[in-house]
Amino acid sequence: MKWNRKVKMVTVYLFTILFLIFLNFLLPRLLPGDAIIAMYSGSETMITEELYSELVKLHGLDRPLHEQFITYLIQLAHGDLGYSYMYHASTTDLILSALPWTMLLIFTSFILSAAVGIILGVESAWRRDGKIDRILLTSMLLIDGIPSLVIGILFLMVFSLYFGWFPSAGAMTPYSDAQGIAHISDVLMHLVLPLATLTLSQIPGDYLLIRNSMVLTICEPFILTARAKGLNERKIKYCHAARNAILPFFTRIGVRIAFVITGVLFIETIFAYPGLGLLTYKAISNHDLPLIQGILTVSVLIVLLTNILVDIFYKKIDPRIEYAF
Amino acid sequence: MHFRFFKEFSRNKTGITGLAILLFLLTGAILAPVLAPHDPWDYSFMYLQSPSMDHPLGTNDIGYDILSELLWSLRTSVLFGVSVAAISCTIGTLIGVSAALVGGTYDAIVMRIADALLAIPSILVLVLIAAYFKPSVFILIITLSLIIWPTVARGMRAQTFSLKTKLHIKAAKNMGASTFYIMHKHIIPELFPLYSMGFVTKARIAVFMEAGLSFLGIFDPTTKSLGIMISYATHYLYMDVWFNWLLPPVLSLSLIIISLAFISYAIEEVFDPRLRSNHDTQI
Repeated sequence: MKWNRKVKMVTVYLFTILFLIFLNFLLPRLLPGDAIIAMYSGSETMITEELYSELVKLHGLDRPLHEQFITYLIQLAHGDLGYSYMYHASTTDLILSALPWTMLLIFTSFILSAAVGIILGVESAWRRDGKIDRILLTSMLLIDGIPSLVIGILFLMVFSLYFGWFPSAGAMTPYSDAQGIAHISDVLMHLVLPLATLTLSQIPGDYLLIRNSMVLTICEPFILTARAKGLNERKIKYCHAARNAILPFFTRIGVRIAFVITGVLFIETIFAYPGLGLLTYKAISNHDLPLIQGILTVSVLIVLLTNILVDIFYKKIDPRIEYAF
Repeated sequence: MHFRFFKEFSRNKTGITGLAILLFLLTGAILAPVLAPHDPWDYSFMYLQSPSMDHPLGTNDIGYDILSELLWSLRTSVLFGVSVAAISCTIGTLIGVSAALVGGTYDAIVMRIADALLAIPSILVLVLIAAYFKPSVFILIITLSLIIWPTVARGMRAQTFSLKTKLHIKAAKNMGASTFYIMHKHIIPELFPLYSMGFVTKARIAVFMEAGLSFLGIFDPTTKSLGIMISYATHYLYMDVWFNWLLPPVLSLSLIIISLAFISYAIEEVFDPRLRSNHDTQI
């Protein structure tokens, strides 16, 4: 059976959503024992008789499984991800208030690391086996080996605790009524360390990918043609070779975003940055399962959305993809 | 596409450096019961001692001997890394090879499942599973393995596809070689580099995940784990204890992952001769 590209993509999205439903809906109900106890036990919430019957009603646990499933889907479609009894707030609201900080971190670090990674990768491959290439390659492999967790702790120790250049926690100074530029610079100061950590942990991946792809591109005949035409070095390097060498970077964005979300989790925890990561950390310590489920749902949606966007735009970047299938 | 994998690897400086560091750490992990100066669960010592002859790295806030804790934590990392790598690579290989051999709808569906798994941030799934099942190392190992096999399966599938049509395999078949002979002499040797590559990459993810999960407080706090050591040590950053308490686990964790990164890069270079630095081997 030959599957065309669109069918393929839609199947993947469908399977992803099925996994999500399995993890969030089916698994707690399949567990031996009571789903309510499984989901709320261990939390600091007291499960009183009243709360219990309220929860049963909320999740529709007194009804057959298929009706429960419909209730779940309707709630999900309304953007209702559940209720956190720890915070006494809607999970959706909690996540929505944390999401902008995480998106700010992810988006900015994505652009920064791509810029640095691509330039270093292209230059390194161009000078292959030269001194700069060797130094860059070795140091990138080293940085690649340092987990983001460790980079974060080191940055926190050195730049925040020892030198005191940057604040050690939060996204802005609490209770400050700074306005305008003062407010923006306050937010930026708090952003520097988590952003630097996240960016640094992504640069080696970009660099290695681009360097390898560039090394292979340089051997292609069209580069020889460009040389034969007498084009100058820089033009061959960036307009001919790099343009083709960075293509795998775009196809990898969809996969990479899932790893970045993992990285953000630790980095936000270390710097107490009030995004999804810190929210997850708090949810773990409070055993707040509805919140963890909500965060998982939102993260998967972010990954899916990124993938869809990449799929749409990649056709414009590399039209050959249409003929590949 | 035959090449002498071990010979090429042993010529690769990056790979050998990585392997040396890894062997050093592995020795520490395997010999932990012999090398550790004290019982890592014994908290009867004076708390927050500086390094001394009796306690080479001092003691922590509740009186554990830090060196003993470190060695036993390395064991947890190694256990997690090796089991996740072994299980996930086996799943990946079985699925990838079978997808290529069977083909058709089976291939299409299995590979779409693989793609879908790539879209799910594994750390959050592990956090959720740990919350449902209470922190059990065994269940987390299985869960992580069930999530991270897709990249291995993709590689194996592509490699098996290209092997299927290779002339030397057809030739061997025509000369009357048994399936076992072909598997043993031709298929397995050619899939081995890919398997080892996957093994190293997955081990790396697993070691990081174990440290990360324990750092976030998923595991039982009495488990010996690098992540738990790091997490507790960061509470005492304001005291001057970071060099004997925070640095050792941070350094060990980084060294494990650096060594694995080196090895995997070396395997990639050996595997794809076009990336190799000596130009005479270029195609």
